[in-house]
Parts: sequence; C-alpha cells; structure tokens
Amino acid sequence: MYLRILKKDLRRKKTMNAILLLFVVLAATFIASSANNLITVSSALDNFYEKAEGPDYWFVSINADDVERFQTFAKENRYDYTVSELIQIDSKNVLVEGKKFEYSNTLCLSTLGGSRIFDKNNEEITHVNDGEVWVTNFIFEKNDNNFYEGAKVKISQNGVEKEFTVRGYTKDALFGSAMVGMTRFLVSDNDAKLFNNEENAVANSVEIHTKDPDYFDKFNALELNTIMSFDRPMFKMIYLMDILIAAILLVVSVCLILISMVILRFIIQFTVTEEFREIGVMKAIGIPNFAIRGLYAAKYFAIALVGTLIGCTLSFPFSRIMIQSVSRKIVISGEDNYLVNIGAAILAGATVVFFSYFCTRRIRKFSPIDAIRSGETGERFRKKSFLRLGKTHLPVVPFMALNDIFSGIKSYVSMILIFILGTLLVIIPVNTINTLRSDGLITTFNMVESDHIISQELLFNPNEDNQKKAEQKFSEVREMFAENGIDVDVFQEIMFRTNIKKGDKRTNSLSFQGLGGVTTDMYTYLEGTAPQNPHEVALTYLTAGQIDAKIGDDVKIKVGEDTKTYTVTAIYQSMNNMGEGVRFYQDAKLDYNYAAGSFGMQVNYKDNPDSAALAERKELLEELYPDADIYTPGEYIGYMIGNVAEQLDGIKALILAIVLGINALVAVLMVKSFITKEKSEIALLKAIGFKNTPLTLWQTMRIGTVLLVSVLVGAVSSLPLSMLIITPIFQMMGAYSIEYEIRAAEVYLMYPLIVLAVTAGAAFVSAQGLRKISSAQISNNE
Amino acid sequence: MTNILEVQDLCKTYVVNKRQNNVLKNVNFSIDEGEMVAVMGPSGSGKSTLLYSVSGMDGITAGEVRFCGKSVSKMSQKELAKLRLDEMGFIFQQMYMLKNLSVLDNILLPACQSDKMKESRKETAQRGHALMRKLGIIDIADNDINEVSGGQLQRACICRSMINKPKMIFADEPTGALNRASSDEVMEELAKLNSEGTTIMLVTHDVKVAAKCTRVLYIVDGNIQGEYRLEKYDKTKLRDRERALNGWLMEMGF
Repeated sequence: MYLRILKKDLRRKKTMNAILLLFVVLAATFIASSANNLITVSSALDNFYEKAEGPDYWFVSINADDVERFQTFAKENRYDYTVSELIQIDSKNVLVEGKKFEYSNTLCLSTLGGSRIFDKNNEEITHVNDGEVWVTNFIFEKNDNNFYEGAKVKISQNGVEKEFTVRGYTKDALFGSAMVGMTRFLVSDNDAKLFNNEENAVANSVEIHTKDPDYFDKFNALELNTIMSFDRPMFKMIYLMDILIAAILLVVSVCLILISMVILRFIIQFTVTEEFREIGVMKAIGIPNFAIRGLYAAKYFAIALVGTLIGCTLSFPFSRIMIQSVSRKIVISGEDNYLVNIGAAILAGATVVFFSYFCTRRIRKFSPIDAIRSGETGERFRKKSFLRLGKTHLPVVPFMALNDIFSGIKSYVSMILIFILGTLLVIIPVNTINTLRSDGLITTFNMVESDHIISQELLFNPNEDNQKKAEQKFSEVREMFAENGIDVDVFQEIMFRTNIKKGDKRTNSLSFQGLGGVTTDMYTYLEGTAPQNPHEVALTYLTAGQIDAKIGDDVKIKVGEDTKTYTVTAIYQSMNNMGEGVRFYQDAKLDYNYAAGSFGMQVNYKDNPDSAALAERKELLEELYPDADIYTPGEYIGYMIGNVAEQLDGIKALILAIVLGINALVAVLMVKSFITKEKSEIALLKAIGFKNTPLTLWQTMRIGTVLLVSVLVGAVSSLPLSMLIITPIFQMMGAYSIEYEIRAAEVYLMYPLIVLAVTAGAAFVSAQGLRKISSAQISNNE
Repeated sequence: MTNILEVQDLCKTYVVNKRQNNVLKNVNFSIDEGEMVAVMGPSGSGKSTLLYSVSGMDGITAGEVRFCGKSVSKMSQKELAKLRLDEMGFIFQQMYMLKNLSVLDNILLPACQSDKMKESRKETAQRGHALMRKLGIIDIADNDINEVSGGQLQRACICRSMINKPKMIFADEPTGALNRASSDEVMEELAKLNSEGTTIMLVTHDVKVAAKCTRVLYIVDGNIQGEYRLEKYDKTKLRDRERALNGWLMEMGF
C-alpha cells in the first residue's frame, strides 16, 4: 500500500517533489564535498610539509663565510642539515617561448637536494634530465607568462646561454609561494654547473632539521648575514593566502549546507501541512498515528535515498574542484578521501528523513477534525497586519504583497535568512578582493604611497657599490622624465636582512631604508613618531614583540659586519614576511654591500595629475620602459603576494553563480508553494475580476519585497561582518589596522541589483504558473 | 424590461479520461434587468456549471452568452476579468475571502482594483462602511475573517459583490453553508438588493431560498426542464410562495 500511495503522490505533486529532490541532492553534494574539503584542507599543510620532509629552520645566505660558520656550529651541536646552491638569475635574462619572463623577485637555478619536491601528480621528482626545467606552480600559472609543458625557456647570463624545455610544474614546500619573495627553476646538476661561475651570484640554501628548543636563540647568537630566514610555523603563514581561498570555499560550503537545511525544513513542513486534510481523513477512519507518520516518512525516505545517492556521486568531482586551486600548489594526500563523502552524504540523507519525521510530529497533536481544518484551530491571539487598505494610498498589488508579509512574517523568516546569507556571501569576498587590490594597502608593505611603480627591482652583488648603483638609476629615471617635461620624485625601498638584539633577546628581520628622497615621516606608524636621526628606528609589532622592545628602548642592530645601537621611536605594521620589519632613518649609514634586494622603483608626479592623466602617464612609462612592468600601488601588491586576488575573483564568480542559483531556486520554490497554498484565493481574485498581471505582480512583489529588505540588511551588515572576517586574516599577516576599500557603487548597488534582478526574475517567471488557475476552480477548492 | 443576460444554445462538455461528459446541452434562457432568478435541480444536473458559464468564469463549448448585449463567449480573458470586476458581483457557497485581510479590506479590494468609480481611497472606504452598515455588519469591519460568524461573513461577501455597483450578482448556493437563521437573513438582504434594482441569478437546493426569487429555472441533466414565475417578493406571502413552488417542483420530479 505504501508503494502505491508513494507512486501516486510522486505523480501528483511532481513540482514540489522535484524541488525537494533537487535540494536533497544539493544538500548532500555540499555537505559531502565540504566535509571532505574541511578534513583535507585543515590538515593539508602539515601533511604536505611532512611529506616534503621540510626543514624545521631554513635560511638563505649569500655570504660563504657565514655558511661555513654555520656548518661548524651545526656540527658542534649535531644538527642535521643540508646546503644547496642557488644560482641567482636576473629575470631579464630569461625568455619564455621567446617572450620576456615576468617575475621581479629573486629567481634562482637550483638542483635537487634538501626537501622533497613533487610534480603535479604528487609524484616525487627524483631526477632532472639535462636541458629540462621544472617551474614552481605559482610561476607556471602566472597569467602573463607563457609556461606550459614543453615550452622553451632560454636563459642567457654572463656569457652562458642554454635553452631548456619545461617539464612541468612543481609542488615545492620552500619556494612554492609568492610570499617567500624568491623562487627557483629546478635544473639538472650539469646545467646548474654550467651557470655556476664567478660572475653569477650564488647563494646557499641551508635546511636544518632539529627539535632543539634552544636552536633559534643559538642561531641568532651567530649573527649571520642572511637574505631570508624562516622557521616551520612561518611556512604555514606563507601559504595563508592559498588557505584563505580554501577557507572562503569552506565558509561558502557551510553557508550552503545551512541554506539547504533551511529549505529542506521549509519544504517538508509545507508538504506535510498541505497534506493535513488527507491526514485528518486517515485519522478519522482510524489509522494509527505511527502508520500515518510512517507513510510520510516512507515518501521522504525514498526522496532522501535517491537524492543522497545522486548528491554523493556529484560530490566526488565537486570536492576535487573545490580544492583544485590549493592542490595545484601543495600535495593534498586526502584528495581521494571518498569515505568522508559517503559518510557525510548519508548523514545529509538521514537528516532529511529525521526532519521529515520530526515535522510530522504535529500529526499526533491534532484531532482528526483539526487536521481536516489544515491544522488550524482558528485561535488567534493577535491581529494579523497593521496595514488597512481603506487607510492607505498604496495601490492594491503592493498593498497585498506587504500585507501578506506583515500578516505572516514567520513564514518568510527562512527566505529572509537565505537571502541575507546569500548577499553576505557575495559582498564579503568583494570587499576582501577590493581591499587586497587597494592602493592604500601598499603602506602595509613597508612602502609609501606613490603614483606608479616600475618593476625595476635591484639585484645587488656584495662586491659592488650598491648605494651608488641605486642612486645612479634614480637620476637616470628622473632625467628620462624631465626629457618628457614631467617633474617626478623617484625613490625605492632597499631591503637588508639584519640581526636585532635587546638585552639577551635576539631575532632577525627584514629591514628597510628608503633611498631617493623618501623620508621616514612619509610612512605610516601606529604608535610613536617617525625616526628623526640616524640613530633612531621604527620596528613592526612582530619584530618589537620578538625582542620585547618598546618605544624609547635601545636595540642593537647588525647590518653586515657593523653593529650599532638605535633607539626605537615608533611601532608600525607590515605584511612583509608576516609582519617582520625595521625602518631605518633615510640618512642612516648602512653597509650596502649587504643589501638583500629592493622593491620596485616608485614614481610620484609633482603636479598631482588626475586619474586620466595618470592613465596617460602609465602608457608613457610603458613606452619608456618596454622591458619593465608599470604598476599602480594596488597592482603592485597583487604582483608581490601572487595572484590571490585573481583566484579570489574566480571564486567570487563561482559564489555569485551559486548564490544566484540558490536564490532563484528559493524564489521558484516559494512562489510555487504559495501558489499551491493560495490556489483558492487566486481563483477567488480571478473570479472577482483580477487579471493575471496584477496577480503575478502580487506574487513577485511579495518575494521581491522580502528580497529587497534582505539584500539591504545583507549589504548594510556586510561592512562590519567583512571587517570581522577579514581583520583576523590581515592580522595574521602582520597588518593590525587596515583601511577597508568599500566600493559603494559595486557593493551597495551593482551586486545587490544583480541579486535582486535574477531572484525577482525567477519569482516572476515562476508566478506565471498562476495563469493555469481558472476562476471556475473556486468551486473545486476547499 | 430589457434583457441583461441572454443565453442561446449553450453547451458545455468536459472530457474526463477521454470520455465526453456533456454537462450543459443546448440551454436557452434570458434574464431581464431587475429579475431575481433561482436555478434549481438535482445534484449533478449542471446548476453551478451553468452559473459559471454564463458569468464568464468558465469557458463554454458551444452557443452564445450575451451580457448587456455583448457576447461574453467572444471576450478575451482580460475583457472577461474587467467585466467581472466592474459589472458583475459574485457570492459563493463557501465564504471565500483573503485570510490576510480584514473584513472591510476584503470588501474594498475589488473597488480599489477597479477604476470604475473614479473616487479616492477614502470615498471607497466610506462606501464600504455604508454597505456594511446597511447589511448590519459594521461592527466587524476591522475584524479578521476568522473572528466572525458564517452568516456575518456571507453578508460581507454580499457587500464585496456590491461594492462596484454591479449590474448583476451571481450567487452559487449563497446559503448552502449557513444555518436556517443566517440563511434567512442573507436571503432577506439579497431580496432587498433585488428590490432596489439589482439583478440576481442564484443556484440553490433550498425551496425557502428560491421562494424569495421572481423566477425559478429547473434544470435536469444539463437541460432546462421548466420555469416557474413568482410575483415580486413579499415577505408576508412567503409561506404561500413556498407552498406553490414546492408543488411545482414536485411536479418536475424534484
């Protein structure tokens, strides 16, 4: 009998059952793939680092004596370590498929050795053939480079030239993130030897494996000159941007699960309520409660079973898509953890069955006649809506829409929640992306704001007069502008790797000095005042915290071989190396033989050009420097931290598509259920002379009004919620006080309008279904 | 007297499971302005179908229905909706009303949707109040529909059917869901409206209801078998009217 009733029910209520099935499928898919994603991503970095046998500590030094000192120290302390050579290559000397190679940070040639490196299939690379090159993933996938498997890469530097064939991309624990500020091409030993000559700078990469808790203090006491130094926890932070993407997907998944559950609850409750009359009849003829409930449970069990099976199947490819962006950079061992998908999908299905059985509990409470009256006893303790047609000037259609909402606000709560959540899901990533791309963020990267940045980062060799080299470059640029009638300031940030000490506390940190007329008072500080003389410095929160330094304290800083005492005058924030930083006074005498590198060359136009003139000048700069890239500050951040914003853009589009899809489905579902529920009212309105158009508008406006309110609430609350969500992420990267870039037209107008238009459109199309209801049906409706 | 409704060779056929069901078979009749006509007949004879077909609420299979000289059967859905809104009033057996509106708002709804009266919302509300006062239900104007009795609700439905000053009211068993007292009250109101000039066509099973009309059509198997004319309604002669009508109905096999 159950089967017969079930078959008939499925035939009779095709649309509602189809929508219910669709949402069970969606819920099962999202829950299964999100659970997989959650488990996989949360452990991915640790697993990858273990699998790669990544070091506990890592540093890069260009000073051979320092490396030797370290080796003696390591042997004395019995530390396990490996040293490998990194041959520095100027990006200008690299052609990819005949085109300029776009990368301005430090590029090295390296051979296998140290931590393990994997290919795209997660297989360890154990051998590199002569003439072949492996490229780290973030470089391989950089849009403006033309890398592909089999692409030709020509490197010619200091008289040595060789063409390589790109073998593929690597998953490289040490050099796999743009945040490291350095990357490597993996080549064979023979090819590396070819470029390893006296004219090319060779740095040493030293990987240390030790569990010695005092290692860091002992290492700092050596006061080595390093150009880079990381410990294990810092590696996790380096991949933060990639994890951020995974985290956003995770949040989206959780929201989608919530949405699916809310919708399921609504549908099940609605269908059960709709069937109250039949339930009443069954009760009246003496069928016991458990049998009636079992009948409905059987129906929802059948739907849940089919939905779970489909959802579980769909979740496998969906899981892979969700972690694709992350799994291209790191080895994710749990990618094929299908048992998680199956378990989560079964859980989703069981929840549906439980929900349906839970919703039928009302059956027990009502007498047969109550059930026949659709579960309404007629008792009402408060008035419905405060609106009165006779007292308002609203036209009939908007009045009816508003009145319905105010009369039964509870039935719109699910819809409101879903629409608010959807709006937030769209707007928060947009705010994050816009902030990540904003020009103002440059001040958190140890730079001052400027109009343009030329990607002419300086590579320093220890045997050159680097300061002179830099200043010579500035005057060349100034002259070139002067020839074009433009008066400019040109300046650049020079980086040093320094050792800092206060009392017995030591650390090492990236340090900066502005060259070319930029002064310390032009930077942003969170506490204190800018360094005013050569013996003053500003420290970042992180660096100051590491040595317990406060404003007014004296600290010893070693640059190269010189150790001097400086007074801390200010604390600032930096997103370089997750918050490291020391700011020297512009005239402080530093040993430029130990300069580790520089940022791009910054240009400020003295005539304060407007945005149109700025765009023209950018074109001019591109003509003047065909070999360089010209950036706005916002673009330069993207260039420094990798294509995170681009990836987020992709996710933003995906989220928008999902939210629009969900909203449209919810709108269709709600309108369909309203039409089913209000069939007699629609027939009555038609009978008394209402045309189809106002009735369609009534249904659409009801959804539209709820949607409008939800989108407004979502848009307004998006700002504090964005801050709540984004601030901790920026804090982890070293930025404590961020000015959020809120583009009102985009956030408060464009996206809300898209959401409104698509959802209201879906509601309108769905509302056309009421055309099928004829006025004569009034006599058939109860 | 002029014809307000003219029905010629009206046929209505339903197809259920590939089987034709001829509900109305060449029905012919007309109703003059100011008449109050009852349609009676056994269950399933086609009474309600006839009412819905001639009022434009349901399509017809063949024949012609003319309302105020205009062919209803040739009107588009939009024209039919306007006709029902402005020129016709409807009362149903079940007191169908919008559950989210107050009693008064339900009454005002057709007037606010129509542009027939060219009046302000305030004036519409005043007319609504006046109608409710006239039918003795002014006290329930602001009540929700589940707070009032069936009789009061049916009177509110009469108010709604009257709000656009229609030329004719169609009522499908208007007292079918009411007790005797409420039924009498409602029928008194309808008779009063008729005496004031409103044409009414109603479907009923109840002889007491039909006895208040000026004419009774008797329908069997989709055909009008006969009609019985009565004098203008006079409350004092109700028993005689009922007795006479009963006699005729018995002759017709009711």
